Amino acid sequence: MPQTESSTPRTEHDAEFVALLNATWFGANLPPETQVRLAALSRRYQAPAGTTLLTEGQLANELGIVLSGRVSLRTLVPEQGWITILTVEPGDIFGQSALVPPYRSTSTVVALQPVDVLAMDGPGLRAALSADHDLAAVLYPRVLQALARRLNATRLQMLDLFAR
Amino acid sequence: MTADTTSASGFLPRAGFQQLIDLLAEGGRTVIGPTVADGAIVYGEVRSVADLPRGVGSEQAPGRFRLVDHADERYFAYAVGPTSWKRFVFPPTLTLAESHRDEHGHVSFGPARKEIPSLAFLGVRACEIAAMGIEDRVFLGGPYTDEDYRRRRAQALVIAVQCAEPGGTCFCTSMGTGPGIRGGHDISLVELDDGFIVTAGSEAGAAIVGRLALEETTADQVMAGADQLAAARERIGDPVVTAGLHDRLLAKLDSPHWAEIAERCLACTNCTAACPTCFCTSVSQRSDLDGHAATTERQWDFCFTKGFSAVALGGNFRPRVQDRYRQWLTHKFATWIDQFGTSGCVGCGRCITWCPVGIDVREELDRIAPPPEVIAGDGHAAEARAPRTSVFRVESVRRETHDTVTLALSTEATPDWEQSRGEFVMVSVPAVGSIPISISRRLPTGMELTVRGVGPASTILTGLEHGAEVGLSAPLGHGWPVPAAEDHDIVIVGGGMGFPPLRPVVDEILSHRGRFGDVHIYHGARTPGDLLYKEELAAWAAQGDLDVGVTVDRADATWLGRVGVVTQLFDQARWDGSKAIAFVCGPERMIQATVGTLGSHGITQDRIFISMERHMECGVGLCGHCQVGPFFVCKDGPVFSLAQLGDVFGREGI
Repeated sequence: MPQTESSTPRTEHDAEFVALLNATWFGANLPPETQVRLAALSRRYQAPAGTTLLTEGQLANELGIVLSGRVSLRTLVPEQGWITILTVEPGDIFGQSALVPPYRSTSTVVALQPVDVLAMDGPGLRAALSADHDLAAVLYPRVLQALARRLNATRLQMLDLFAR
Repeated sequence: MTADTTSASGFLPRAGFQQLIDLLAEGGRTVIGPTVADGAIVYGEVRSVADLPRGVGSEQAPGRFRLVDHADERYFAYAVGPTSWKRFVFPPTLTLAESHRDEHGHVSFGPARKEIPSLAFLGVRACEIAAMGIEDRVFLGGPYTDEDYRRRRAQALVIAVQCAEPGGTCFCTSMGTGPGIRGGHDISLVELDDGFIVTAGSEAGAAIVGRLALEETTADQVMAGADQLAAARERIGDPVVTAGLHDRLLAKLDSPHWAEIAERCLACTNCTAACPTCFCTSVSQRSDLDGHAATTERQWDFCFTKGFSAVALGGNFRPRVQDRYRQWLTHKFATWIDQFGTSGCVGCGRCITWCPVGIDVREELDRIAPPPEVIAGDGHAAEARAPRTSVFRVESVRRETHDTVTLALSTEATPDWEQSRGEFVMVSVPAVGSIPISISRRLPTGMELTVRGVGPASTILTGLEHGAEVGLSAPLGHGWPVPAAEDHDIVIVGGGMGFPPLRPVVDEILSHRGRFGDVHIYHGARTPGDLLYKEELAAWAAQGDLDVGVTVDRADATWLGRVGVVTQLFDQARWDGSKAIAFVCGPERMIQATVGTLGSHGITQDRIFISMERHMECGVGLCGHCQVGPFFVCKDGPVFSLAQLGDVFGREGI
């Protein structure tokens, strides 16, 4: 991976991916050079409804951003079957286990609708983050923001406020 | 007061006092006055001077009351005992109404028939007259009135006696209510060793005083009366600094002192039972065995009981004793002023004397307000104002979820509520009770109510079928300020059973869609099976000019919609809230989270309206259950702006 410090997309691929990032709340308003770095690490794919994108316990090789469609984070409870803990909506991320040892998915991710995903290569992103502290300094707060939002929501869910 | 009444005055020798009792008792009137019973001075029937506590005084201190022998002839040389006149105008238990259900399922509601006794209150202190004035404000001064109280109060004669023997717990001087008598009586008495200075205070009083065998009052007698009043005032002192007490008290809602008091307080309710102004009540149903006839009975209730602020399914807004003590003290001395323009305390000292652990409010406090004006003393009839129960018929039942239905109800009598913006109705089920339910749709001849079966009454409602009858009050409370929201963007957030109260808001907007800007409707539920109005939500979403979001907290794999808390429906949305007005209803903790997210979109507190959930019984601000700080949720709300609620919103134990 060339370590160029440029904020100008070098290829058509990068320019398209920077535009896609800017259309999501997770990727918008990151510094241009960060977006270019991320674009270079990304691929884009579509999957039909019902596709399992990640399996709980398996290696999470990509950090995904939902561009359109809806994916569910599920876990299997033997007496209850599959329980959907959360749905990930356009603009939000899934597969953040790709950044956290042991890099194994903590839930099974299934597309509920046809989805369009921008996926960043996990090992490549980890290598870039450990080599480039400037990149880490802007990307980690964004990841933290996404996780904190999820943590706060989970707390409210745990309170089961609508039970009474 | 007319010249005629004030001129009826003179000195009644002690030997002539029985004549006063006899005149008061004329026409079947019962004289109630001080008697000695159970080791205390207790108000009971007085037929002759022999019933009065001759030569008996009282020694009072925090947690202590003892009768003492004065070895004199005086009848009124004691300070007030545990009873107050409240129980005779506001009985501890009272049958309010009767309801019936015949074999065809027809229901009827009517007031209970009862005789109102004619009473004369003999020996009323200045502090007690002030207490009557306060209760007049509570029961007669608001938009709804207590008809039973009005009639009892109007039929009672008040024979006041100047205080000459204050107790060790008195502080009327600080409260501005005594010890001198300043109106609100029919006859006033100043007791001296050999008799009474008698003065009429009303025409009814003058008619009696005019028939007494009075002597001319001497200057010495007047001076003796003035001297003993001055001595009483001197003995009481001015133990509570009342200036600024309201604000000082409300600024101390977070004081650690509340927890310290709660370590001593037993929450026994003695203070509230002995208090001459505490007015909270609860209502219960008494039914015959087959459930066809029932009476609605009201009992005194007390904010110190654990269940006082309980709501359905185990919720309780004041679970700790410190919450309840704070409610009582801040209500009595501060928020009562906001509600009724007068303090709720008259300084009679009963709550101190009769506290089993001797908690002394004078030591807990600093301030109080001016004496209240008497409203009902003239006895003139006033129009009764109470929510009437009308019979409504179930036109249709739509099942929303496994435990929730929407009832369409109509009445043949054209309701005159079309202009009412009331938010909820009290729904009465004979023999079971009345519960508040928010209107979930307004219909030309009635309304829809969405009911979740969680208690006895609501479970019966969810089982009603077409043609069944129930009783409904007119719409009550302050509803959503939808007209004021015209020309604004609208954000509606309803969680769980908090969504039905918002449905009329959506209806009103849709009937004048062009008057509003962008409209966002967000509904969160526990599970997909708990979602309400699914078809309507889908139709609103399909309409194209409404942004509709639906989410659930948990789901199985068959659910293809959103899963997550309701705030995630819009926390990353790109709309601008600077011109928006928000309407939010749901569990209080959900509202708190929602308010934070709305704030991050630029919606200020004066543009966020929420509906508060509290325990409601009467629906009109008379039973005391639903208080939040200075507000009665039923009467002043249930819809409030956040700015209006200030720091009482989200506070523990309020």
